Amino acid sequence: MENFALPTEDLYSPEIATITRVETLTESEKRFEIRMPGEKALNHKPGQFVEVSIFGFGEAPISICSSPTRGPLFELTVRATGRLTDKMHLLSEGSQIGIRGPFGNGFDPGAFKGKDILFVCGGIGLAPLKSLIDYTLDRREDFGRIIILYGTRNPSEILFPEEIKTWQSRKDVEFAITVDQASEEWQGNVGVITTLIPGLELDVKNTIVTVVGPPVMYKFVLMSLKGKRIPDENIYLSLERRMKCGVGKCGHCQINDTYVCQDGPVYHYPRVKQLEEAI
Amino acid sequence: MNALEEKLNRFVKYRISEEDVRLLIDHLKQKAPVYAPHNSGEASFSYELVEKSTDVVLQYPRTMQPIKKFFLPPKEVLLNFNIKDNTYSKPEVPEETRIFFGIHSYEMASLKRLDYSFTQGHRESNYISRRKYAIFVGISYEPDESHFSKSVGIDVEETEGFDLFLLKNDTGYFLLEITETGKKLLDGYKENLVPDREELKLEPLRFKSKIKYHHNRLPSVFDHVYKSKVWEKYAEICVGCGTCNLLCSTCYCFDIRDEVELDAEHGSRTRYWDGCMLNTFAEVAGGENFRGSLARRTRHRLYRKFRYITAKSEMLHCVGCGRCSHYCPVGISMTDIVNDLIADHEEKQKREKI
Repeated sequence: MENFALPTEDLYSPEIATITRVETLTESEKRFEIRMPGEKALNHKPGQFVEVSIFGFGEAPISICSSPTRGPLFELTVRATGRLTDKMHLLSEGSQIGIRGPFGNGFDPGAFKGKDILFVCGGIGLAPLKSLIDYTLDRREDFGRIIILYGTRNPSEILFPEEIKTWQSRKDVEFAITVDQASEEWQGNVGVITTLIPGLELDVKNTIVTVVGPPVMYKFVLMSLKGKRIPDENIYLSLERRMKCGVGKCGHCQINDTYVCQDGPVYHYPRVKQLEEAI
Repeated sequence: MNALEEKLNRFVKYRISEEDVRLLIDHLKQKAPVYAPHNSGEASFSYELVEKSTDVVLQYPRTMQPIKKFFLPPKEVLLNFNIKDNTYSKPEVPEETRIFFGIHSYEMASLKRLDYSFTQGHRESNYISRRKYAIFVGISYEPDESHFSKSVGIDVEETEGFDLFLLKNDTGYFLLEITETGKKLLDGYKENLVPDREELKLEPLRFKSKIKYHHNRLPSVFDHVYKSKVWEKYAEICVGCGTCNLLCSTCYCFDIRDEVELDAEHGSRTRYWDGCMLNTFAEVAGGENFRGSLARRTRHRLYRKFRYITAKSEMLHCVGCGRCSHYCPVGISMTDIVNDLIADHEEKQKREKI
């Protein structure tokens, strides 16, 4: 019989946080800097998410796009794609929002020490990976090569132009970008993100690959990585589901026997490889 | 004497009449609010607060809504908020003693599963507050065409979780004292209540619905039927209404929605029962649906009952109440699905041997 006398948790009450900065990134994406009450640190891991809420508009899981190495304020990149996120786009500096979390399994950068890291970022998948990218750049000496591949549908959807400029200029970062459809001014690579993979020269045994992108992307990226003979054990991916409660109860994010909000969103690839509903 | 009879014979028991059972309800009502099965319409039953003990139905097949409604209400306000000033308050969940009377063993077993779900990982205060001081008086029942709890390892006379248990006999009931709490509840109930020393013998009960395999073997069957054609067979009949989820005594998935009052200032964040059989359940932002077909959703529902949580909790999360079968508008039966999966599995094994 359960011991009901043990302490319990009030799971659904958010903390009221403040938006301290809003930056328009694209037509449909904005970056928000958030301050928790008392400027308390969120204490998140790269790859974790929070449940963001606006009273009257509900809650939605949003990945944290800033690194925990960068002080107590944190950042969320939000695409306007539903009730909550549309409303969030109307908020400005000083507005208040509800935050629960951080939730889920994030990346463990400590386990990647001494390794080369290849980031494969598709579309808004760059946001959760930026948290890990910034982390590795802030502890640059702990890691080997840092290789960032970024693909978007078209040049107008490119996120974080400032950061990208920095990555492009740094000698200790290898950065490549491609777009599915070029605009007239676009001078760079054209094609889906997998076109950037075959040309890479990698020390496959010593390379950790992290993959985040739209659902359709995973299958193809994983095929390309297989072509490069990257062992499955070196691959980590983050899966997007509708995590409604964030605490392993509501059932919405369940993939076969795993709850994304608890065991994910970041998964070691061998854990989800055989799960039909995962990828 | 079988193991179950042996167990039952260790409890102190009294022989009481049906009239005495009504008196017991009246007695319990003085201690705490009593909830028990009542008639609801012509052929349905529902757990309600007892006003008159004579309203309580002692022998009934099952209530439509499971007992989970008292611990995980179909609609529950999690927060009341004020949009203008961004404040909220959490409604207090009362931690009160409630007596649930005339409860079947599969229903008690379902609460053990829900206890697991709401205490694993995060211990949810809302559920535990409601559950903490609940007292249960069980009752035996005659299985109908949909019950199959015996097939999932739950006897009609299983007393686990109950404080008192009523076992029907020819003249009335045996009243069994299961726990100390149960014993105390009987203080002042009846003068001259003398323990009955006669050895209990159980009538073998006939379950009309059965699963072909012993319940211990079911999780391993599910290791082999993920790609079975059986899922398609039932998906062709299923209409995806989600009744099986909502009436399931161990389903606990929910949705959370904000609702705003007409003053556009006040509102509430409310949770509702939800179901994985409903089309939008596994949809993500952008519209991608990871269980877009009924076959996949049916499979997911069954795996949640027999495999996924079972691997961790070591309990089947189907308790054989038969609600999903009984209330399915197109007559899909849980035992039919499981038996078809077993047959499919056996056939596959045969083919592999050849």
